[in-house]
Amino acid sequence: MIIQILVSGLVLGCVYGLIALGYSLIYKASGMLNFTQGDILTLGAFLGYTFYGVFHIPFILTVIIVFIIMLGFGMVLEKGIISKLVAKGTLPIYTVLATIAVSYIIQNGSMLVWGTQSINFPRIFHVTNIKILGVNIQTEAFVCILVSMICMVSLHIFMKHTRFGTSMRAAAMDPLAARSLGINVSLATGLTWGISAAVAALAGMLIGPLYGVYTTLGATIGRKGFASAVMGGYGNMYGAMLGGAILGLVETFTSAYISSSYKDLVAYILLITFLFIKPTGIFNERAIQD
Amino acid sequence: MGKHLLELKNLQYSYGNIKVVHGIDLYVDEGEIVTIIGANGAGKTTTLQTVSGLTAASGVKGEILFDGRNIGRTRGHLIAGQGLVQVLEGRHVFSKLTVAENIQMGTYIRKDKANINKDIDQVYEMFPRLYERRTQLAGTLSGGEQQMLAIGRALLCNPRMILLDEPSLGLAPIIIKEIFESIVRINKQGTSVLFVEQNSKIALNVADRGYVMQNGEIILHDTSVNLLQNEEVKKAYLGE
Ligand SMILES: Nc1ncnc2c1ncn2[C@@H]1O[C@H](COP(=O)(O)OP(=O)(O)OP(=O)(O)O)[C@@H](O)[C@H]1O
Ligand SMILES: [Mg+2]
Repeated sequence: MIIQILVSGLVLGCVYGLIALGYSLIYKASGMLNFTQGDILTLGAFLGYTFYGVFHIPFILTVIIVFIIMLGFGMVLEKGIISKLVAKGTLPIYTVLATIAVSYIIQNGSMLVWGTQSINFPRIFHVTNIKILGVNIQTEAFVCILVSMICMVSLHIFMKHTRFGTSMRAAAMDPLAARSLGINVSLATGLTWGISAAVAALAGMLIGPLYGVYTTLGATIGRKGFASAVMGGYGNMYGAMLGGAILGLVETFTSAYISSSYKDLVAYILLITFLFIKPTGIFNERAIQD
Repeated sequence: MGKHLLELKNLQYSYGNIKVVHGIDLYVDEGEIVTIIGANGAGKTTTLQTVSGLTAASGVKGEILFDGRNIGRTRGHLIAGQGLVQVLEGRHVFSKLTVAENIQMGTYIRKDKANINKDIDQVYEMFPRLYERRTQLAGTLSGGEQQMLAIGRALLCNPRMILLDEPSLGLAPIIIKEIFESIVRINKQGTSVLFVEQNSKIALNVADRGYVMQNGEIILHDTSVNLLQNEEVKKAYLGE
């Protein structure tokens, strides 16, 4: 029983973590909040369903195709809307509003295309369950956790141990100095938004098979992802993941041992408590000064 | 007189409607070390940043010729690849990257991968303190060390010409001496240098020629030897 709860908690936690990661990366690169993250997750889930469930493209291929499409989507969002607004001298807070606008456009748009009903994501694996420590775990849940971990580790290696990833961090830290050394800061920023969108879409394809796909799937997850990023230390990649895991576990354990109707209550009380006792998050990030 | 390596012809720059550089002419020849001196707000930083494409292209008027090509409209990140790199005022190291990562970013545009490691070694040889601190975050370095890092990092772009904006800013005299010795050494090794300074005495002792800038205009231009003798310069900039 406890292992099953733990697994459900980690599934949620990983998905929150992937969304939180995007919030943090974008904050570092643009100093901006991007509230489209959750709805991009929804879009990713719908696209995944369409390619895999309707067109019967193999799941792995579906994931790759959607990842690339959403990478482009995130870059276009940044280059086509966000950086244009910033160049016009729009106040940051209005630019954040623009991301909220885009989020509703995605939500409503996907309603037009895929309807209002929750859609079942067809099963991905023939083996329904796998046994871990003598407990049956749904294969999709296991894969969700595994792929999320792989995604986080790859992103870590990319950002910390490749020249290009380091240049993206440098561009976020000091755009002027980065440009003086020949780093294309505009590309780096766009790519950051692209990666964040692609990772959110991936999260959608991981959670879709477990939760079903519907237009407001990402809305709640997006909010929780934002909360995770704050708890972890806004702007910190590792904090985002840890914050996600904590929130997912707290939520699932509350559902299991108290009542599922209290899970959001407990989660958000935890967030407020965090804001009071550790405003810089677990990883001590000074979001405002940075 | 042959072709200059860098030549500014009637260069003007405006931030929106406010013009701060009012048409300056300036040149640097291959192998030279040249300084621009002037008081706060004279427009020195604006001039340098305009040359290296770091100010908005929309504010630029006049010509910037580097090696005969007009680079006045070239965007910032493409300038370093042309062989022109700037060390920014206030150093601008990537504070949360390590020293080694900062150094690596200096090589970002390099295509001749084979020579990179040798060049990195050379920079560490020139500034041994950076080598000792290569795993440290750049933000934790002292001001002098940060300036060395900023210079070393710029050198790794393998530039034909290096621009430095107030390399002495906020540093103790002994460190300033060290920094300028390295600038002279870099110049001797074949890199042309244009630098901006408020510390006019040191600047004119190091440079071959100097320009005096005031309110966005060049009011004097001569060899450093002559400028050091000039009564006006003595009074206004050397405090004699
Ligand atoms: N981004 C900007 N927007 C508007 N005006 C600016 C901007 N940057 C500089 N200025 C103005 O341009 C003028 C020249 O500034 P600049 O920084 O080029 O001078 P400087 O000679 O480098 O001064 P200092 O010795 O203090 O560094 C100043 O009046 C300054 O207020
Ligand atoms: Mg200046």
